[in-house]
Amino acid sequence: MANLELIDVKKTYDKLQVIHGIDLEISDGEFCVLVGPSGCGKSTLLRMIAGLEAITEGKIVIDGKTVNNISAAKRGLAMVFQSYALYPHMSVRQNLAFGLENLKMKKDEIDERIMQAVKLLRIEDYLKRKPGQLSGGQRQRVAIGRAIVREPSIYLFDEPLSNLDAELRVATRVELKALHERLGNTMIYVTHDQVEAMTMADKIVVINEGIVEQVGSPLNLYNKPANIFVAGFIGSPRMNFLEFESLPNDIKSFAPSNSNVFGVRPEHLYIGNEHSLKLKIKNVEQLGSDSYLYGETVSNQNLSIKLNHQTDIKVNSEIDISFEKENAHWFNKDGISI
Amino acid sequence: MSAVIKFFSRTQGHKKLSFVDWIAYGYLFLGFLIIFLPVAWLLLNSIKSQFLLQKLDTNLLPLDYDRVVRATVFGPEGKEIFIIKDLPDWVIYWNELRDEDKKQKNDPEAFILKFDGNEYYALRTHLGLVSKHAKELIKNKNLPEWLIKYPSMFPNAKKDYDPDTYLKGLNEEEIRLLSEFLVLKPYKPNGFTSQILVSAINPDTQEIEEYSVNRINTNKETINARLISNPQGGIVKIPSNEIIVNKKLRPSWINYSDPLTNNVRGMNFDAIKCLNNSVFVTIVATIITVLINSMAAFALSKYRFNGQIIFFIIILATLMVPASVLIVGIFKMVSVTGLSGTLWGVIIPGAATPTGVFMLRQYMLTIPDELLEAARMDAASEWSIFWRIVFPLALPAIAVLAILSIIWRWNDLILPMIAVSTTKTAYTIQLCLLDFQGEYVAQEHYRLAMTVVSLIPTTLVFVFLQRYITTGIATTGMK
Repeated sequence: MANLELIDVKKTYDKLQVIHGIDLEISDGEFCVLVGPSGCGKSTLLRMIAGLEAITEGKIVIDGKTVNNISAAKRGLAMVFQSYALYPHMSVRQNLAFGLENLKMKKDEIDERIMQAVKLLRIEDYLKRKPGQLSGGQRQRVAIGRAIVREPSIYLFDEPLSNLDAELRVATRVELKALHERLGNTMIYVTHDQVEAMTMADKIVVINEGIVEQVGSPLNLYNKPANIFVAGFIGSPRMNFLEFESLPNDIKSFAPSNSNVFGVRPEHLYIGNEHSLKLKIKNVEQLGSDSYLYGETVSNQNLSIKLNHQTDIKVNSEIDISFEKENAHWFNKDGISI
Repeated sequence: MSAVIKFFSRTQGHKKLSFVDWIAYGYLFLGFLIIFLPVAWLLLNSIKSQFLLQKLDTNLLPLDYDRVVRATVFGPEGKEIFIIKDLPDWVIYWNELRDEDKKQKNDPEAFILKFDGNEYYALRTHLGLVSKHAKELIKNKNLPEWLIKYPSMFPNAKKDYDPDTYLKGLNEEEIRLLSEFLVLKPYKPNGFTSQILVSAINPDTQEIEEYSVNRINTNKETINARLISNPQGGIVKIPSNEIIVNKKLRPSWINYSDPLTNNVRGMNFDAIKCLNNSVFVTIVATIITVLINSMAAFALSKYRFNGQIIFFIIILATLMVPASVLIVGIFKMVSVTGLSGTLWGVIIPGAATPTGVFMLRQYMLTIPDELLEAARMDAASEWSIFWRIVFPLALPAIAVLAILSIIWRWNDLILPMIAVSTTKTAYTIQLCLLDFQGEYVAQEHYRLAMTVVSLIPTTLVFVFLQRYITTGIATTGMK
């Protein structure tokens, strides 16, 4: 149990700065998700918290104690790696026991902790197997078990679900969330998948090019994105962006001043003509429960619509679409929400 | 066995042997022969008798010929060459017998009494009775003790003694015996050489007669031979394609038993000691080599430090220095550090090999860094990361290095020569083998046999460790 504080943390490789001063506070028991596109520095940040990367500038504080110069081994954190990083030559039991043996723990206690963890993760039957003989989901559980037996103050997850197939990913997502409820530890979770972030997080930190774009609860980020980047990153399918100048006058009329870009989410568009946008349909995707329409506006800008019912609209037909006023997002020249 | 048959009867998709199958099996067989024939040659030659080896016999099997003995006896009348036929095998092969066989099964004392004259003298020398009889004579006649040592004295020391004075009181036979023993003029050690008995047409008489020849070389048109019925008649040439030779299979197992039981004439060959030294050097050096090389490779592959590339290049650059250039340097190092004459002088200079470091580094590069980071998160010390994660995962490469090191060390001749050539007790097997080729003796039959013995350990090591090379650790546990 611990809270974590990052104060103006920076990271520079040779002359290339990848983390540009991040301030962040994660309180005890929080499930915090670091999300961002690949190469944004989120994994680097996690590895700096873990102690696997040196900190160029700034401070990392765990429970009021600066840990900049404390080695990874002594920070008392546990990490689940993207590739699981199970020791291939050791059985599952040895994998789980390795960290505890390094802490010179007594054998009885090691056994007890392992038994607890394997019961929790339902991997009792595989204790004698080598990682190579396990399926992807089983390896994932062992990797999580290796973190659990350590009883760390903070769990770190580095894209742990990215190697699982879609079905298993959803199941494990639910399980991880349940695990967090049960253990109540602070967890920091890195992912590039905004769905994972939305479903699991208490707090989402959106990172882009080494800068924190926005911190907040999932719905807060969805409803009130701070800027174009967050607006585009959170939500699936992506938010539609149209240039202000290309909009019809009746829409322009209720826009705040200084608006440069207009944004509206595909699920907030419907067929109708209150605030009419003319659209030529280029593609239709029917998913049964939902339908996605892709089209071009009069000014040749792409627009997508999500309908929560089936549709008989054909490709190349022209339709009028509309939206509720309060669902419109407006951004100024710098991409900041107005 | 059925697996082997199945393996060798595989064809390319079809039931019948196709053209490609013929080529593939033919190529396999050719490769097998190229590798196997020299080994088979060595094995078969190692059970040939000394006689056959000295005659440069080219048969693959140890086929021994009918032999006769050509004796040369020195006496007051000068030297006489004659041939003794129909000697029993144990007399002809006397020098090739084991000591216990010489004593137990035969009675040379009684045997030579059947002969007289020069044949008697020749056999007495051949059967090693001259020194025995002479020592008895010296004892019985109360002659001085130094006479026994006289034959082995240096020429300078011999000047101080005058054996002639003691010959006066003896009879003719006794004088001859003692003179032969002391090598006094006109007596010299009598010659007694086995030769091959062949039959051929006498060019003079056109009749088939028996000849004794020194060696049979079918590459030459004629063979130098001595007519048995007239040995004094000198060497005649007989056509080599018309000779008739009797051969019989006679493996010479004493090639093995003599050196292994420390029974080699004229030298102190202790096979057990030699093998022990080699085993010690091989095992200890391999352990040290594996340790040092894997630790160096770990540092070079998994840590980032200044000069990393430079270090690696320097290590690799030493590969380009021929080993023979380093002989003098290693010798000086070994003698200055006081390791000369000890087995550690053999072990330590070769402990770190650039080949091993390079091989292990390249292998360790394939071990994912995430495993090391996971271990660091698991509170493992750097030593335990090396010992419990990297070392076991690099085992396939380490097994290769261990096998190579065992073979290098076992077969190494240069380092032992530099470090221990002056200390007999520290000889490794390869130095011991060298000993069979002395300045005055060449005991190739023992050398070949002991070479075969020295091949056994490396062969066994390869048979038992090769599966580590091929299998390795199949799954890495990543992804």
